[in-house]
Amino acid sequence: MGYKVARPELNIFEKSYVPEILKGVGVSSRHFFRNIFGKKDIVTVEYPEVKPDYASRYRGHHRLMAREDGTARCVACMLCSTACPAHCITIEAGDYGDTDVEKYPVKFEIDLLVCVYCGMCEEACPCDAIRMDSGIHTPSQMYRKDGRVGKVDLMALGDLSIAKQGGELS
Amino acid sequence: MKVTIDGRELEVENGTTILQAAQKLGVDIPTFCYHPGLSAPANCRMCLVNTNKAPKLLPACYATCMDGMEVKTNDEKTLRTRKSTLEFILLHHPVDCPICDQAGECVLQDNYFAHSAQPSRNFTRKNHKPKATPIGNNVILDAERCIVCTRCVRFCDEVSKTNELQVVNRGERSFVTTFPGRALDNDYATNTVDICPVGALTSRDFRFKMRVWFLKSASSICSGCSKGCNITVDHGGGNTQRYRPRENQAVNRWWMCDPGRLSYKQFQDNRLTDAQIDGVVHPVREALSAAARRLRSAGDPSKVAVVPSLLMSNEDAVALAVLTKRAGFGGWYVGGRAAGKEDALLQKADKNPNRAGVMAVAKAFGIETNPLTALATAGASATLWFGHEHAVDPKVLAAVQQLSRVVVASNASEWTAGASVSLPSRTFEECSGTWISVDGHLQRFAAGPEAKGASVAIWDLCFRLLRSLGVMDVMPPASPDQVVAEHGQAVPELASMPPALPPAPGRPDQLRKARAA
Repeated sequence: MGYKVARPELNIFEKSYVPEILKGVGVSSRHFFRNIFGKKDIVTVEYPEVKPDYASRYRGHHRLMAREDGTARCVACMLCSTACPAHCITIEAGDYGDTDVEKYPVKFEIDLLVCVYCGMCEEACPCDAIRMDSGIHTPSQMYRKDGRVGKVDLMALGDLSIAKQGGELS
Repeated sequence: MKVTIDGRELEVENGTTILQAAQKLGVDIPTFCYHPGLSAPANCRMCLVNTNKAPKLLPACYATCMDGMEVKTNDEKTLRTRKSTLEFILLHHPVDCPICDQAGECVLQDNYFAHSAQPSRNFTRKNHKPKATPIGNNVILDAERCIVCTRCVRFCDEVSKTNELQVVNRGERSFVTTFPGRALDNDYATNTVDICPVGALTSRDFRFKMRVWFLKSASSICSGCSKGCNITVDHGGGNTQRYRPRENQAVNRWWMCDPGRLSYKQFQDNRLTDAQIDGVVHPVREALSAAARRLRSAGDPSKVAVVPSLLMSNEDAVALAVLTKRAGFGGWYVGGRAAGKEDALLQKADKNPNRAGVMAVAKAFGIETNPLTALATAGASATLWFGHEHAVDPKVLAAVQQLSRVVVASNASEWTAGASVSLPSRTFEECSGTWISVDGHLQRFAAGPEAKGASVAIWDLCFRLLRSLGVMDVMPPASPDQVVAEHGQAVPELASMPPALPPAPGRPDQLRKARAA
């Protein structure tokens, strides 16, 4: 069911349009000259040459942290994909064949187009393996499939972590 | 005699344990080592309860009730003891839940959160023991996670009677392992994985496949042999991930065999998902009319040989019997899987889950049955073939390949290759229905994973094929139960159908959520 919206009545000046057009041109011209001669007032940032100040807890592109031997810290426990409210994390676990590590992610994929950047995955991670502190915005993609970033891309952004894996006393 | 548990009175027989009495009242006493199918050694000390008949706490799983006994399962002394017992059990536990397959269905996790939930006070190094050690074809041992409840040892001693496992060393250094030079490779080995309350024994087949909380369950029956073991089909991601035994005291008690447990794999390879006419994919509707044309062009319909699958449910068999009778096809040629290993516990030599049911339906409908080998010399002009699982007989295979074949199968095999029309059928996991076991148990199974591709249930295909053949006065039933209700009255074995299955018994995490709700 629709309902009636009370519309304001236009007076004679507004109905003739000309004064209103001149007013609009005035506003545009004011901004035009201010931008040319007084650059300080511009709100727009020339990204990526200039970057805005990010909050210290800004959540950007995910990254996978590495162990000292270069492998991913992730043990494929699936706690991130369990915690994920958007179901954007796909992990396939494999057997490392090594009694120290045992389990590792054969495939680790995040669909950035599905991700809601809530940070639940990094909160759930028991290994400090997944982080969202890269400060990188989601890159734009030409195709939807390119939104699915894999282990290689995520590890390329990754780094060593100072957290000790497997507890302090081992 | 009379016992009082938490203030509630109960009349019990002599010899009833405190735990059994508590279970009758619905009082929850936590356990690790107790299993109803095994002896009770009372070694985990988790079920200790306070009574008025002894100065110390008594293990509920082992101590029997006495007249006038007052049991307290919730008083301060019992709760404190439980907390201490758990702290003791967890002292050297590695707590590697993130990589442990048991996490989510782990009794230790459940009991910890219910009765302890305190941080570790251990400040020394934890003991290390062998990790991720394969101790058999199907089982992996992680001795660090073991709480030495000896359920697995008792299973091998008392149920499979193969005695492979033993506890070695003493005290905190003790762990379960196989005797030197032996492997846990009996046909029932993976049951130790089911009864292991923690992640010490895990299945090599299910290892790292999927976290258990992503699995959905359906109550079903094992198709591995004619015993009809009750199982739970755990499926996730559209595929069956594992089978677990489901308790049925009349059939399989709590157990199932390893070959049966791995039998889900035969339905996953080479799955037929589309209808094909001469090897070209077509919609099922077109394939059905093509099948009807081919069967009709074979001339005399009694020259059409029908080969039923012994994986068919009774509902499918009734539908096929109706099709055979109304279309005037010849007799059934019954093949099936080759006979295999039989033992005293569960495995049966006849590896076909529903031979009894298919034969009963054929008898009730007055359909002549012959062995499949007779098909080679039967002089048939065409065949309506069901199933991929029949044992390969080169002579029959050569004879069948000469015929015009309409094949209904869930998977590809020698028998389905080169069929003139092939129709995709659902596996038993994807359908609901009933089977009759070799011992005459009529048992129901429920549908688990979603049907793959364009596959259709066999009973549905039979009735649709009947319409394609021009028999229009049989209304296709809407459900398998309706097939039996409308057409299966003549089968005495199907006179009293089992009631609908209750929802699949939940995993501990689901039960916990249900209790909390």
